[in-house]
Amino acid sequence: MAKNNSKILGMDREKFRMFMGKYGIGVILLIMMIVIAVMEPSFRTGSNMINVATQVSINAMIAYGMCLAITTEGIDLSVGAQLALVSCVLGTLISNKGWSIPMACLAALVISTAWGVINGFLISKFNMFPFVVTLSTQLIIRGLAQLVSGGQAIPITDASFKQIYSVKIGPIPFPIIVLIIVTILMYLLLHWTKFGRYVFAVGDNMQAAIASGVSILKTKTGAYAISGFLAGIAGIIFTAKTASAQSNIGVGYETDAVAACVLGGTSFAGGVTTIPGVLMGIFIIGFIYNGMNLIGIDSYYQSMTKGAVIIGAVLLDMVMNKKNS
Amino acid sequence: MKKKVLSVLLCAAMVASMAIGCGSDKKDDTAGKTDDKKTEDEAKGGDVNGDGKLVVGYISKNIVDPFHAPINDYAKETLDGLKKDGTIDDWTGVLDGETDANKQIDRADECIAKNCDYVIILPAEATASDAAVTKMTDAGIKVIVVNSKTDSTDDVAMAYVGPDDVEAGKMLAQWVIDNVPDGGKYAHCQGVIGNSAQIQRGQGIEELMKDNDKFESVGDFPCEWQADKAANVATDMMNQYGDELKAIICDNDDMSSAAQKACNDAGRTDIVCVGVDGNENPLQMVKDGEMGATVLQDGPGQVGGAIDLIKKAINGETTEKEVMIPFVLVTKDNVDEYLKK
Amino acid sequence: MADTTMKKEDYVLECHGISKAFGGTQALKDVELHIRPGEVHALLGENGAGKSTLMKCIIGLHQQDEGSITFEGKPYSVKGPVEALNAGISMIHQELNPEPHLSIAESIFLKREDTKGIFLNKKAQNERAEEILRKFDFPHGAKTLMKELTLAQMQMVEIIKAVSCNARMIIMDEPTSSLDSEETEHLFRTIRELKEKGVAIIYISHRMEEIFEICDRVSVFRDGTYIGEREMDGVTRDELISMMVGRKVENVFPKTDCEIGDVVFRVEGLSGKGFENITFEVKRGEILGISGLVGSGRSETMRGIFGMDPITSGKMYLDGEEIKIKKPSQAIKHGICMVNEDRKNYGLALHRSIRENMALPTLPIKQKAPLLNKRKEEKDCQDMGKMLTLKAASIDHDAFSLSGGNQQKVVLAKWLLADPKVLILDEPTRGVDVGAKSEIHSLMCEFAAKGMAVIMISSELPEVMGMSDRILIYHEGKINGEVMREEILSGAANQETILGKAFGGK
Repeated sequence: MAKNNSKILGMDREKFRMFMGKYGIGVILLIMMIVIAVMEPSFRTGSNMINVATQVSINAMIAYGMCLAITTEGIDLSVGAQLALVSCVLGTLISNKGWSIPMACLAALVISTAWGVINGFLISKFNMFPFVVTLSTQLIIRGLAQLVSGGQAIPITDASFKQIYSVKIGPIPFPIIVLIIVTILMYLLLHWTKFGRYVFAVGDNMQAAIASGVSILKTKTGAYAISGFLAGIAGIIFTAKTASAQSNIGVGYETDAVAACVLGGTSFAGGVTTIPGVLMGIFIIGFIYNGMNLIGIDSYYQSMTKGAVIIGAVLLDMVMNKKNS
Repeated sequence: MKKKVLSVLLCAAMVASMAIGCGSDKKDDTAGKTDDKKTEDEAKGGDVNGDGKLVVGYISKNIVDPFHAPINDYAKETLDGLKKDGTIDDWTGVLDGETDANKQIDRADECIAKNCDYVIILPAEATASDAAVTKMTDAGIKVIVVNSKTDSTDDVAMAYVGPDDVEAGKMLAQWVIDNVPDGGKYAHCQGVIGNSAQIQRGQGIEELMKDNDKFESVGDFPCEWQADKAANVATDMMNQYGDELKAIICDNDDMSSAAQKACNDAGRTDIVCVGVDGNENPLQMVKDGEMGATVLQDGPGQVGGAIDLIKKAINGETTEKEVMIPFVLVTKDNVDEYLKK
Repeated sequence: MADTTMKKEDYVLECHGISKAFGGTQALKDVELHIRPGEVHALLGENGAGKSTLMKCIIGLHQQDEGSITFEGKPYSVKGPVEALNAGISMIHQELNPEPHLSIAESIFLKREDTKGIFLNKKAQNERAEEILRKFDFPHGAKTLMKELTLAQMQMVEIIKAVSCNARMIIMDEPTSSLDSEETEHLFRTIRELKEKGVAIIYISHRMEEIFEICDRVSVFRDGTYIGEREMDGVTRDELISMMVGRKVENVFPKTDCEIGDVVFRVEGLSGKGFENITFEVKRGEILGISGLVGSGRSETMRGIFGMDPITSGKMYLDGEEIKIKKPSQAIKHGICMVNEDRKNYGLALHRSIRENMALPTLPIKQKAPLLNKRKEEKDCQDMGKMLTLKAASIDHDAFSLSGGNQQKVVLAKWLLADPKVLILDEPTRGVDVGAKSEIHSLMCEFAAKGMAVIMISSELPEVMGMSDRILIYHEGKINGEVMREEILSGAANQETILGKAFGGK
């Protein structure tokens, strides 16, 4: 084994290991950006950076919710269906019922949050497996979406609704503003509030958390409610982007969200995640799509690359965090 | 607290790279604007945005289903050829739309970033994918919509190349009417609801079957283009209606071949199943006599039509606004012709 | 010994010059170990002295960097517990991890199942298992599931498994840590039987009394080095302790007498699962010891009081006022805190920082603003760490990185931050090394001196007797007697008195 006191980047070995454990994913992100930028000039343009940030905003919302669920030792598979339900509710309320946009969005968010509460309640109150619960509610939610929309695509022609995706404040499109605000709020929520501490404690050791007076019901329900709420926001952005309400959208969107969480150092054993990490994971996924498309790498290789990058990043993370035992 | 410093540096690097990008972006913007004016004058040339390079974008609907795979292959082959012989400078490669309007809009962003002059898009959805088309046309790209229209295709796209799906629906219905002379009950397996192909094919089927007294529909079943779901419909309906069930009309032939297989397996080779597309598996069934016919949609022909339009535009020729590629009824007589492809 | 060539100095296992390093940490330095056939050999040393590492080298979980191991006269090298078992060495771990859904027979024959072709021959396997179980007078049949057994019985299954594999040496790591006195006696009987059969036993324990009772020889370790070996006959407890810690330990139990005030907490007729009609009170400044066999309802009562398990009837009074506790958060609000016996499951979130663990129970009390006041939290945690002489590089490190004793201090800290009126400690020194143990004892006295009422459950009689002002003795879910400190000091009550009551005597 290497000597004790060897230094890397001016840090001693242990510190370097801790640093890489926490921010190694950032290094990967940076390397990735540099490589793509060298290979493809159009990647470097500001408009493309803004593109990517706008594009990832949908996955970001879902991923933040997902990281809460995973951190409580669960998973939220209902997010994709939530997108569809939110979309169909928006379409029906705005196009068919003539509701105002803020009221329709509010209603959609209330509904998606309510489904989050239902998920969390079932999981915590009856101690059911999150995988099973959300797998089932996902079916119900998508069914509801089909029911609400009548299985038809509902166009939303209202120009101001489309603005939610396309309007710019200065050079920054609105979804990026939402991304920034939600990121800050999530960071504060997870790292600076009691609720965040409870989420970590419950995820790491539920029995110990109970013995420390933490309410599992409140914590898990809260986590899934937030996941539902964020899926609602994602659904609004999605619907504004496509200007169409459909019940078949969002299939498989859990995958990218889970991938972003895992890249960001979220542990499936629960109790470990960081918001900056997840944000970087989100951007890595975004850059994989964007960069490879710009470079002109065949689409067939993209999902393979995504899979390989995730396994590689997680392996690297494990090597970096390797404990002596 | 070195790690904190480093993490701050990291974030700074990210922000800086974005900021630098923004800076250079403004230049691009102004350049783009002057170029726009130029193109007005030099509209004849193929270089639409006037950056000195001729770039073609290709946004697929998806890269997995058997109907789209040969289309994508044909596009790849043809566009690679054009790049090699110097007709175009570059193309984007097959961009994966994942049958998801959201992803197609993201791919459209990338075509804009890549300064494409022409983009061929096979929309995933009529309404939802429209933003991808309008986004690109707003950026000055000439967009050719292939296979199915988006809402504003007629207004903003350079052209539409596609099949006449209403006609295809009529061909399906006609085949059933011709081959089940006594009439009876029939089921209809639909594609993804809201999809223009689904709507129009359904319309064509409806048009002929509605007025035909001999036939009675037992229902329209949403099968999302999926073979296994259609097979389930076939078995369920056979159970429910027995010998009264005479035909299953499917919006695509992945479904019709699966339905036919289910019927044949149940000893009901008399049930007439038919669908649209001309995928390899159904064609093989037609050849083997397991299925009566399938309606072939010439996918590669459509994308070929789109590429032809681009070639014409580059040469300064006038281009049609709408090109219809005909369907072909494939039976045992002519199946060899198409199976070879 | 039948073999005439075997002299007294023939060892069944010889470890010579073993060294092992993990990264920068030298876990073992040039360590020796000599085990004779048919002896019970104790390993003594504080936590981190290298006992476990050496044992892991022997059963192949680690490979030593230097040194050699000889087993039954032949060089010995294995790559894991399964190989070790085949070679004749079995280890019974402190924390048993049986597969709860396996039957006893399946557990005994795990990885060496009876087969008929590719299928398991369950019938033959069960019959063989029954036979072995009968030899050991085991009270359950071979088809009983592991999850239905008590800890002691699971341990016995492990021992039976080892013997059925023809193990010539069995390593037992803290085998009595979860056993009550009766079960311990049973274990000792088994050990003696094994001894007669010529099986060598390496016995790791922190409990000096047991080592004197059951062991023939002892090897002492300190900080990864080998200090020496002794025959148990002729060595004193103090000598062993000073070998272990490198200094003399004067007083084993630092109990100080402090002023005992009014009644703080009182329960009346408390009943629940595993205990009924429990009535007792505890006063300010008092350490109330609770003794009794494992499963006699001691922990169950305390879990009920703390709101972890439901209480079916009875009343609780705090400072004379009746209180109702349905969940731990209510108990904490009232100032009743509990250190659970099972630290791994109920104590800490090991992958979170020391600070987060310490602050967790008191967040609702100390952090009223929407955002956490981390500066205040850090100060609280630092102060508490200092008071408890917590050995940690930083309070932002994971709790995982701490030794058992220091983890226990973090658990204590999180409850002390709640400023409790009543502090319930369930087996506070289990799995803690001698040094930390005496520190925890001193701390308990400090808490009492500050006016806290301390309730301590312990299975170690000397600990209960040495630390308590008053002892309640449980028998089958009821309180079966009370012993005062004065009685113990005067000699009116001794270990036998308490054990007698624990076994149901008057």
